[in-house]
Order: sequence, then C-alpha cells, then structure tokens
Amino acid sequence: MSNPGPVTPDVLSVRGLSKAFGAVQALRDVSIDCRAGEIHALVGENGSGKSTLLGIASGVLAADDGTVEIGGSRLPHHSPAAARRLGLGIAYQDYSHVLELSVAENLYLAAPADARPAYGHMQTWAEETLAAFKLDIAVRALTASLPLAERQMLEVAKALLTRPKVLLLDEPTTALGPEAVERLHTLVLEQVREGVGIVYVSHRLPEVLAVANRVTVLRDGVWQGTFEAASVTEDELVVLMIGRPLTVAFPERHEASDHAEVVLTVTGLQGERFGPVDLVVRKGEILGIAGAEGNGQVPFLRALAGAEPAIGSASCDGAKLDTRSPAGPLRAGVVLLSGDRRGEALFPVLSVRANATIQVLRRLQRFGVVLHGRERRAIGGLVERLRVRMASEEQPVQSLSGGNQQKVSLIRPFLRGDVKVILAEEPTQGVDVGARFDIYEALRAKADEGIAAVVKSSDPLELAGLCDRVVVMSRGRIVEEIPRDELGERRIVEAIVGSRTRGTATAGEEEGAGA
Amino acid sequence: MKRSWLPLVLMTALIIALGAYADAHSSAFLSKENLSSLLLASMPLIIVSMGQAVALLVGGFDVSVAALMTFCVVLASFTLTPTTSGFALVTGSLALIGVGIATGLFNAILIHVVRLPSIVATLGTLSILEGASLWLRSYPQGAINTNVTNALTKSVSGWLPIAFIVVVVVAALADGWLYRSRSGLALRAVGLDERSSRRLGMPTGRTIILAFVVCSVMASIAGFYLAAEVQVGSPIIGNQALESIAAAVLGGASLAGGRGSFFGTMLAAFFLTEIDNVLPFFQQPTEYAEIAIGALILLALVLYQAPELIARFRSSRQSIDAVEAPAT
Repeated sequence: MSNPGPVTPDVLSVRGLSKAFGAVQALRDVSIDCRAGEIHALVGENGSGKSTLLGIASGVLAADDGTVEIGGSRLPHHSPAAARRLGLGIAYQDYSHVLELSVAENLYLAAPADARPAYGHMQTWAEETLAAFKLDIAVRALTASLPLAERQMLEVAKALLTRPKVLLLDEPTTALGPEAVERLHTLVLEQVREGVGIVYVSHRLPEVLAVANRVTVLRDGVWQGTFEAASVTEDELVVLMIGRPLTVAFPERHEASDHAEVVLTVTGLQGERFGPVDLVVRKGEILGIAGAEGNGQVPFLRALAGAEPAIGSASCDGAKLDTRSPAGPLRAGVVLLSGDRRGEALFPVLSVRANATIQVLRRLQRFGVVLHGRERRAIGGLVERLRVRMASEEQPVQSLSGGNQQKVSLIRPFLRGDVKVILAEEPTQGVDVGARFDIYEALRAKADEGIAAVVKSSDPLELAGLCDRVVVMSRGRIVEEIPRDELGERRIVEAIVGSRTRGTATAGEEEGAGA
Repeated sequence: MKRSWLPLVLMTALIIALGAYADAHSSAFLSKENLSSLLLASMPLIIVSMGQAVALLVGGFDVSVAALMTFCVVLASFTLTPTTSGFALVTGSLALIGVGIATGLFNAILIHVVRLPSIVATLGTLSILEGASLWLRSYPQGAINTNVTNALTKSVSGWLPIAFIVVVVVAALADGWLYRSRSGLALRAVGLDERSSRRLGMPTGRTIILAFVVCSVMASIAGFYLAAEVQVGSPIIGNQALESIAAAVLGGASLAGGRGSFFGTMLAAFFLTEIDNVLPFFQQPTEYAEIAIGALILLALVLYQAPELIARFRSSRQSIDAVEAPAT
C-alpha cells in the first residue's frame, strides 16, 4: 500500500471508536488523528468522552468497536504496555505515581529498559533527567510529599522518558497556577519541535488555544468537528461543546455592606504549611482566596475545617471553633468542600442519592427509618440545577465522570439547613462551562440567605466574577487584600505575581542578614 | 531507609535478650542438643514466613499455607515412604512441590482473576486442603522416609543445620534483590500501587500470580521440614498460618503491601520459635507464650510507627518555626 500523502505522518490515528459503559454510550464512532510535531487539542464538557478516548488510545480500556494506530502500527489488543512499546506516552490526570516511593524511584520505574541506568546510579541519573526537563524537584523526596503542581510536572516527565512519538496530556493544568502552566507549555513545545505529536485534553480553552495547532470538539461522545486553532474562536468552540452559545456570566452581587455582622473570625491561625492568618468574613459575603499553587491556601482552609492540625484560634458566630477534628467546625456550621473529591468528599460505591444526603439523614427519617421518597425530593431540584449527568440517582458515584462526581459533592452543603460558613476548595475544578454558572449561582443564593463563603480558586477570572473581596496568599500568609471595587482578573493576577516577587526579596534579605 | 533497619535491630535484640535470660535460668538452653533442636524446629516457620512475606509484599495474605504444609506431610507419607528409593524419591519430592505450585496458581486465579479478597480466597483453599488431608489420612499413619529427612536436617559440628545457613544466605540475598534491583523495586511498586504500576506498563498480573505461587511453593518446602519433625503422615499438624503472618509483620512487612524484609522475617520467625523453645526452662504453661506473642506483635508495630510519628511531629514544629522566623 503506497502512501504518497502527507509530509508529516500521523503518530496517532484512531478510527471509528465506540464504547459504552452500561447504558451510557461514552463514545460513538469517533475518529481523530494527531500528526508529528503538532498539538492537537481535544475539548469537551465533562462526560463528553475525552477521558474514554484517551483510555482506549493508551490501551487501558478496550473499545467496543474501532481501531487505534500508534506510529503507523495497529495496537493489537488493549494493554498499556503494548501502547508504550508502539510509542505512546500518557500523562494521566490523576497521575501514575507510586506515592510511597521516592521521585527517583518513580522515574526509574517509568523509564524503558534501554533508557534505564544501573540501579546504583539511579539518583544521579534522576537528577540529570529532571535537569534536562528543567525541573527543580528533589529526587530523594517521597512523591507523596510533593505539591500537586510538581506531581503534575513529574507525570509529564515520566511520560517523556519513553521518548514517545505521541504524548497524551489529560487535563495537565488542573493543578497548576498560571506560572506553572507556562513552564509546562515550554516543556511541551520543546517536544513538539522535536517532532512529537501531542494530544492535549483540557477544559481551559484559553490555555489550550494558546498552544494548539488543531482542535477537536467532542459532545456526548460524538465528534463535533476538527478545526485549525487559528481559524476558530473560543466562543465558537463553546457553542460546539455545549450546543448553545454561552457568555461567561456571574450572578449579580448585591450592595455590599461592610457593616454586616461578622460571622467568621480567624486570629493567628497557623499550621504546618501556613500562617499566622488573621481574617474576618461577614454574613452574606463571598471571600476569595487567591495565590500561586502551594502557598498555604488549601492547608489553611483544611485547618479551619478541623481537617489539619493548627494552632491559633477561630470563631464562628461568636463561639470558639474546636478545630481539633472536623466534628467541631461541622457542629458549628462550618462546612468544607474538599478539592480531593474522590479521596475525601465522596463514598465512591454509594449511590448519588446516598452521597448527597448522608449528612442530613436525620431530617429525612421517620421513626428512625430513612425515607427514600423524602431523600429524592430533597435532592431532585439540586440534581437538576447542577445538571448532574447520570442514568439514575441510584447509580454509584464512582460510575459518574469526574466533573459529575464533583457536582454530587456540592449538593451536600446545600441540603443542610444549619450551615453558616462554606469553605470551598476549587468548587468548579473540572466542572464543565455550562454548569459553572449553576454552581456560582447556588453559592451566591446561599450568600444572599446570610451565610458566608470562603472560596479558594486558582482561576482569577472566577474569583473576580464571583467574590465580594479577595485575599492573596503567599508563603502561607495573606499578603494583600483586594476590595470589591478593585476586583478584576488582571488585578488579581498582578497581586499574585507581585506577592511572589516580594516573597523572594524577603527571603534574600533573610539570607543576607544571616551571613 | 532508617525505618527498614528497625525490625532487624529489634528482632536481633529480642532473640539475644531472650536467649540470655534462658541461659541464666538453665545451662541446658545453650547445649548443642537444644540449639540443634531449636534451629531445626524453626525451619518450617522461617521458610513459610518468607513465602508469606512475598504475598504480603504484593498486598495479599495467604492463610492456606498451614493447611498446605500439613497436606504436604500427609502426601509425603505416600510418596516418600521408608521403602521408596532411587528415582522415586525425586518424583515423590516433586509431587510435594507440584502441589505447592498448583495451590499457588489456584489461589492466584481466585485472587487476581476472580478478584476475591486474598484472605477469603485462601480461607477457602485452607478448608479444601484440610479436608483433603483428612481424606488421605484420617489419623496419623504412614512413616516418612528417613533418608530424605536426615538429608534435609544434616548439621555441621553437631548443632548447626546446613539448611539454616542456606536460609540465612537466601534471606540476605533476597533482601538485597528487593531493595537493590529494578525487579525488586517493581515488586514493591505493584504492592504499593497496583494501578499506577499497571499504567507504567509493568506486568502487574504476572507479578501477583507469581507472588502467590512463590508463597505456596515455600509452604510446601516448609512441609518437608515439618515432615522431618513429625516423621509420620499426620493430618492434624501445622497451624502456622497466623504465626507466619505475624513473623512477616514483625520482620517489617506492611499489611498494606509493598514493604517487608526477608531477613527480618527470618529473624522474627526464629524468635517466635525461640519463645516456644525456652518456656519449658521456666516451667511456664504455654498460654503465656500466646499472650507474649500477641503483646510483642503490638509492641513492635507501635515501635515501627514511632519514627513516622516523631518525624511528623518534628516537621510540623520546624515549619511553624520557619514561618515564625521572619516575624522575629
């Protein structure tokens, strides 16, 4: 079979893929290809089939129908090892690290036989390897001790160790701040120049459009088209992704009152990776926490919710919060929406209904028996409002897509009547564009009822649109507060960048003083 | 790294301390006769525990090992009778190893293919093997070839069994392999995180199946030494399943998989046998031994956790200090 065609060969070509999970058709006759030296973006809402497509291409999942060709050779059966041998590298969204092993050991395990040094040279080899990727990660550190952003970069580095012809990136920037995204893109573009083809899955359109050559849109498992990235606008893609035009909208903020009653007071709270932090949040206020990843935002929220040890004090509605365990804050009406939804917030094998109502069963029972009818009535409206995509409320949460799992975990605090403060960690992470507004609106509605919300987000646009006030954290402390009339995406980004340079300067002075 | 030495140090210290205590009570403890019988008595548990450590490394249990050892003893009373000689001794021995391989594959299929929890799957196997032993020999009957057992228990200078030396060397080499080689690292990785290992293209299925086969084969080898001890086809011996798990854990294995030490396991198995051995010198009834074993396992586990607890406490102190420093 002669092939006089394209100068740049396809490094990945999938044809006619179909895949069903039970009653849900995740993919329907989808074909895409990726050429050497191009970045092919794959975009779509949660549950549109992106992850399924990557799973099949990388040999983790078996397709019901269709073929996968890697570097011109057909993948004979579904096997990650076989896909690797043919030249496919993949950086998983939830990583492939063995967390209890060191960074060097993880790299070593990921390296193919011919790229692997003798066992005794592992440390120096790992240092050189990371240096070649311009990554500054301690090779002896336990992988579990790395911040998420570094785990992500390590994941990409591991995928590149196999010298792949095609590299699949599954939502690689979810855990990254703007600066880390920049670093990742530099690394990826270097690979592209060397002729690697990249399939880049992301829900952050501006980011992916900044580097992609072509874009393919999936919706409900169906191919919606493949376009030159230069010839298509973000708005057009969004229309294809959600099937209707959508403007980034935020719920209306009501007149701020600086005199509203203070509901949450934090005084000198500090823990392992943050503090001391002083803060007040008023009734009806949504306070944003901005900052580069790993600057103590998450540990601060977790400590406030009693999920991490801390010293100092906090009070809610005038009563001192007992933060020694999550039970104290919960009793006082302080609810944490953990960002680690699968690990902390959800019971994967329980149904959507059970997960949503587990904290409020007392209210839904009669004579000690939980009434399913009451449960269903209680969650019905919320399931609809957040557009949870599922076959039934009795479906185990683990069978939903990542974004839909997220929405289920969000239902819980909205069901409780006694909530005074919601601490939300990345409430819209991995949630599709269409449902974001629903989450914003639900949060704002709660605020209008008089509760306070503290929202940690890595998306400055989201903070600017949603919040009444934003504080910026750097090195574990609040370094800047942006009042409502100054709020804007640019202002927040500048504050984050500014705070970082100031932080470095302080460190330099310390060293000077010590010397 | 430091943490992995703790079990070895603790077990060595306990072995010496108990030995010294016993020696102070009775000079008979360090006699050649007693040392020889102690070392030989420790062989079945040491071998089966090292096999158990392999199962624990991939994150599983094997409670069927004791029943397999007993079954091998019963089988030996048929295939290695006093009249067996020549080539028949080889095939008779291979029959025992073959049963080990078959049992290991059976367990591995239940665990890896059918996806039963290993503790449940091997409990079923245990019951089947126990029944099979009783079916073959309803009471202790059938002498076992002494040429074979004497060869297995040959000693140097009258008290040190060659087999014991072999086991010590094998345990040391196995630890070297586990912590100083790529395949050892891969085995631990599979035990620590099977999904990530699979994503990295490692043959996780093969590793887990092999681990259970190794575990069962070790149990059938342990069966030879049990046979040497009892000399007769007894269907009601060998209750060392829990002891073998205890030895592996005392030796540094984690029940969650991915951690363990063959040398530590060897020491711990020896220590557990030593407890049984010294009790007669004190005229203590054996229930004290049971209590002591239980208490020691818990104590050891707490001690193994200690460095982690201390490290966690220290790091939190340090970082709080670090945060405070700029303010002062």
